[in-house]
Amino acid sequence: MRTGGWHGWSQTLADAIKLLTKEDILPSGADPVLFRLAPALVMGSALAMFAVLPFAPGIQFADLDLGIYFLLAIASLTTIGVIMAGWGSNNKWSLYGAMRGAAQAASYEIPLALSLIPPILHFGTFSLLNATEQQSGWGGMGWYVFSDAFWVAIPSFFLFLTASLAENRRAPFDLPESESELVAGFHTEYSGLRFAFFFLEEYAAMFATSAVATAYWLGGWNFPGMTLLAEGSAWLPWLGALAFLLKAMFLVCVMIWVRWTLPRLRIDQVMTLGWKYLTPLALGLMVAAAGWEAWRAMP
Amino acid sequence: MGSMEGDALTPARPPKPSSFRRWWVNLYEGVVSTAQGMSITLRTFFKKPVTVQYPEQELELDGRYRGIHFLEQDLCIYCDVCAKACPVDCIEMDATRHGKELEWHVFTLDYNRCMLCELCVYPCPKDCIHQGEEYALVTENREDMVLDLLTWKGLTDEQKQKIAETEAAKAARDAEKEKGE
Ligand code: SF4
Ligand code: SF4
Repeated sequence: MRTGGWHGWSQTLADAIKLLTKEDILPSGADPVLFRLAPALVMGSALAMFAVLPFAPGIQFADLDLGIYFLLAIASLTTIGVIMAGWGSNNKWSLYGAMRGAAQAASYEIPLALSLIPPILHFGTFSLLNATEQQSGWGGMGWYVFSDAFWVAIPSFFLFLTASLAENRRAPFDLPESESELVAGFHTEYSGLRFAFFFLEEYAAMFATSAVATAYWLGGWNFPGMTLLAEGSAWLPWLGALAFLLKAMFLVCVMIWVRWTLPRLRIDQVMTLGWKYLTPLALGLMVAAAGWEAWRAMP
Repeated sequence: MGSMEGDALTPARPPKPSSFRRWWVNLYEGVVSTAQGMSITLRTFFKKPVTVQYPEQELELDGRYRGIHFLEQDLCIYCDVCAKACPVDCIEMDATRHGKELEWHVFTLDYNRCMLCELCVYPCPKDCIHQGEEYALVTENREDMVLDLLTWKGLTDEQKQKIAETEAAKAARDAEKEKGE
């Protein structure tokens, strides 16, 4: 790398400062309230998702009984921000992007929520903390994907990842942005820090959904060898947080890896995939998981 | 994803009567083709990057590279053939003859227009205009893009050697070509 020190590490800082100091433009035809509110809403809801993530034993802002429910509700707020941005910009590209974002979010929230039902049924809880604690068996390897219900867990895991790609507007579902047709989609008119908020939200939401997948499918902070640590060891929260972050970051890398691989779908293909493939599959998995858990619970 | 009908070359046909079997085939193909694509990108990810960090590293050019011209001014006979051959008319020259001696005033090449096509190089009767390996033509204004080829007046030994090498390579190539024919 030419500039920015070792492997260009300081480029990120320079980028942040650049975005902070860039001119903040409000287009003259735009709706000032919606235009200004949209990035704040998007960013706020992305950050709110982090409140319920169980990073490690004792490192969680709030353990809600309906944690995952809260998270899904907050995650869908970002779509409203996208629509506000698209409408408020008073620009046809933005509006097209926002309409696509709305259509996409409405279609993919269903398989996203349905694919969460198998783990919820398995652990019998909406709380992310409780679900993680139940995966500590087998010396830290009692993850849902390794449980006796692995044959539902693995497909539902991939289903969740696919639906969350669409929910986070990542390639191949980045139609709201589609820079090849819509300039920059719903954030065409944004500049400076407000633009940065949209990007930060995308990555923050990616991390949050990866963290949910980690907590429900990949054992959360549980890692092999954790039983070797003494009970109540001071190391446990740190190592646990490390394991959690590693797993979640791995899933974020998978999302980026998908972006390298797949070209953007067309809007009708996105709808076909969502309604004709993912939703029935998620429903089928839900029935399978319910049947399996009921059979297991039989005396 | 292979599960969808139609692509850039074959636009979507009106939907066929859907069949349940087709649904499973589409699903299977979609999953398999995604997995194939992902494995290709993963393998590429672990390969050494081919990117050349340009200002620090430079590509090795072979002798055929058509870069900025250089002129063997002492050989040039001011015949204007190269300027006439140029399709975009970017060579300007002016000199005064004193018997056999030439007094050069101008020999410029306008790289605003030059497309580095080498057409000026072929017809030169003295074979004294060449294209070198220098390609970095970065300037702050257009005037600086008009290079004075006379600055290569006294060729350095290195340049002379390069010319000799280029010539030898060219001769070898031509000989080979003739043999081939
Ligand atoms: S390389 Fe082509 S365009 Fe450039 S001066 Fe020679 S003939 Fe003209
Ligand atoms: S064709 Fe060759 S000899 Fe004639 S003017 Fe051009 S460089 Fe000189």
